[in-house]
Amino acid sequence: MSLDHAAKPAVSEEAQKSGFAFSQHMNELSLFFAIVVLYVIFASSAPGFVSFNNQVNILRDAATIGIAAWAVTLIIIAGEIDVSVGPMVAFISVELAFLLQWGVPTPAAFILAIALGALLGSVSGVLRAYFDVPSFVATLGMWSALRGTALFVTDALPVSIGRNDMLDALDRSVFGIPPAAIIMLVLFAIFAFVSRKTAFGRSVFAIGGNAHAAFLSGINVSRIRVALFAIGGAMAAISGILLVSRLGSGNATAANGLEFDVIAAVVVGGTSLSGGRGSMLGTLLGVLVITLIGNGLVLLGINPFFQQVVRGLIIVIAVLANIQAIKRSLSRNKG
Amino acid sequence: MTTASRMSQTIAPVVASIKGCTRRYPGVLALDNATFDVAPGEVRALLGKNGAGKSTLIRMLTGAEIPDSGTVLIDGVELTQTGSGRAQESFERGVRVVYQELSLVPGMTLAENLFLGRWPRKGGVIQYAMMETEATEAMARLGLDLPPDRLVAGLSPAEQQLLEIARAMLGKPRLVILDEPTSSLAAAEADKVMAAVKRVAAQGIAVIYVSHRMNEIRQIAHSATIMRDGRIIDTVDVKGADTREIVRLMLGSEASQAAVLEDRSCPEIVLEVRELALAPKLSSISFSLRKGEVLGIAGLLGSGRTELLQSIIGVRRFDKGDVLADGQSVKFAGYKEMVRRGFGYTPESRKEEGIVPLLGVDENTLATNFPGVSRNGILSARRMAQATRGIIDRLHIKTARTDTPIGTLSGGNQQKVVIGRWVYAGSRILLLDEPTRGVDVEAKAQIYAIIRQLASEGRSIIFVSSEIEELPLVCDRVLVLRDGAMQEEFKSPNIDQDTLMAACITGH
Repeated sequence: MSLDHAAKPAVSEEAQKSGFAFSQHMNELSLFFAIVVLYVIFASSAPGFVSFNNQVNILRDAATIGIAAWAVTLIIIAGEIDVSVGPMVAFISVELAFLLQWGVPTPAAFILAIALGALLGSVSGVLRAYFDVPSFVATLGMWSALRGTALFVTDALPVSIGRNDMLDALDRSVFGIPPAAIIMLVLFAIFAFVSRKTAFGRSVFAIGGNAHAAFLSGINVSRIRVALFAIGGAMAAISGILLVSRLGSGNATAANGLEFDVIAAVVVGGTSLSGGRGSMLGTLLGVLVITLIGNGLVLLGINPFFQQVVRGLIIVIAVLANIQAIKRSLSRNKG
Repeated sequence: MTTASRMSQTIAPVVASIKGCTRRYPGVLALDNATFDVAPGEVRALLGKNGAGKSTLIRMLTGAEIPDSGTVLIDGVELTQTGSGRAQESFERGVRVVYQELSLVPGMTLAENLFLGRWPRKGGVIQYAMMETEATEAMARLGLDLPPDRLVAGLSPAEQQLLEIARAMLGKPRLVILDEPTSSLAAAEADKVMAAVKRVAAQGIAVIYVSHRMNEIRQIAHSATIMRDGRIIDTVDVKGADTREIVRLMLGSEASQAAVLEDRSCPEIVLEVRELALAPKLSSISFSLRKGEVLGIAGLLGSGRTELLQSIIGVRRFDKGDVLADGQSVKFAGYKEMVRRGFGYTPESRKEEGIVPLLGVDENTLATNFPGVSRNGILSARRMAQATRGIIDRLHIKTARTDTPIGTLSGGNQQKVVIGRWVYAGSRILLLDEPTRGVDVEAKAQIYAIIRQLASEGRSIIFVSSEIEELPLVCDRVLVLRDGAMQEEFKSPNIDQDTLMAACITGH
């Protein structure tokens, strides 16, 4: 009989378990608290912040970030990153506008737009999954190429679409709620469900947590990676369609810097950039935080350049506070 | 048995001593009124099974932990600091540890690694010439003759371990603690490390050597301290001690004898390997596996056991030969096809390749077949819990709930889950690579029982192990892998661990 390797004295299993569960809730609780604080601050200082119209605006703005953020959450949980969201939205908006100009029926144009988004996304995915190009590099290339193509074919001019009932309907509020917000929330429900309740969703967590173990368990790691980026592209395409409905044109310069808002929302939402850990609810709250900050600062009439500074600070502080809260709750549980 | 060191301690000076230390963790008494001394130039082996308190004892000496009661003295002076200052205090008094896990930066040179973070500087510029001269001297003191500007990435595991020891030797160490320095080394390589340990001791430095390899301990240690359940059971003179006696002290009772196995294997051959070659380790491997058989593969670390399993299962391409499953060639069929044909594989490194630590026991088990617990593509919480519960009960996995994160389980229970996922998937042929590594004695016995049970149900199992002692306990047949081929075959009940060990280490 021989012996085992020496083990580090472990914290009791119970403490770790409750700490683990508590830190999960801690994240969402502290975000919820941050949202309440932001509401109180802006409600008391920014005129018109609490008006119904402004609440609708917040929802609509949230949709722009949110729809893309759902997919990016899964991508980041899988241990990858997608920085091509902004140019993808702009490119699809241009493509959709051209399709409509050429007389393609609107529903078909929508389907084609989403399919193209998925196809372009899957290019990044294939580069990552089968050629081992880091996803940051693959999507950075996509970021540059898509923006460039869109600008090149339009000369940076908007591509108008003329009158289109279906697109108009997409920008007409239903009982005061913008359809974009409804689409965002429906997609949220789907993503939350998929991430928790399907083999695909759980495989994403497994890949992000330990890709090698996932592979040896028989999970098709490569295929899931490609699917993730395809979904990312499709979600950006839906954002692109909503953008066209809102602006009435395809626009190569639109959604500038959107990828940063999206990644910020996901990270503020508590998803770990190293993969394996994160939640859709966290991202939803993160999207609200990012949107509220943007909206409130505009209403306060703060210099737009300085807004970026404030935004940067708030994002870092939010993540910092979140990390501290989790650490405290963990050490309390260990003690 | 003689209590040599206890007698000598009154005469010889003492470098480090622990006096009546007790340390309690929630639910565990990690150290129970321990008293321990070590003298200059002495090599003291520290033995004990998992959780015996060895690590806690070491952490007392390094100041990483503070005893609940009792004192720790280095060179006769008590460690008084609390908090992180204590580790610093202990370090300044000359206590150094080399842990199992290497902490080297592969992309930097030997000299840079040796002085990592404490590079000799002048106005912020690293003095390379001076540093490399010192590095060469430091390495030479351990018998390591390598150019100091070489990258660590190109070093053999033994050389890396020696470099770690050289780093611990910088400054003026009084006590060097080595935590299983040879656990990942082949025998020839381990010799180099042991030669270095002798040189360290020859300089009058006390060495605490944590290891489970009795042959090493016999070569270098003067005395051995045996721990069990947080207590120091005895300190024995290595020369006079019998291995069985030491094992008895560690386990607290007579170690069990080889079980009488009931061979239920059928003549039907499920897997055949023909002259498989994979340079540089495997030259010509041929064997067959029958239905319901547990086939052990013995061989030293580095003999190519893992490479062989990986070649069979299709995650590694081999050079020549063929693999047949149920009489059909499955050469280069790929991992997924092998899994589809009813093969299952558990990797050697559980943490790196076996588990997803943050996910629950359920998902770690069911990942091999999510559709099996889904309805219309949606995972059913009830079916997941039910299927997981089935595996938990069958393999006696200790977990509070089915969705407890697997990372919080003990190594043995994690390993049972890794095996359990193939039981859940319905695999017929299991390739288990070191399934008892890093697992405590009790869980090992349970894993043996599980393997026998699976075989009696008609599954075929290849059991790879570097712990020769366990092969007679589980295997119907054992093949010895040496020099790239299967050299010898032993059949139960004629599997004797001494003969097996001899078969592994003879030749080259």
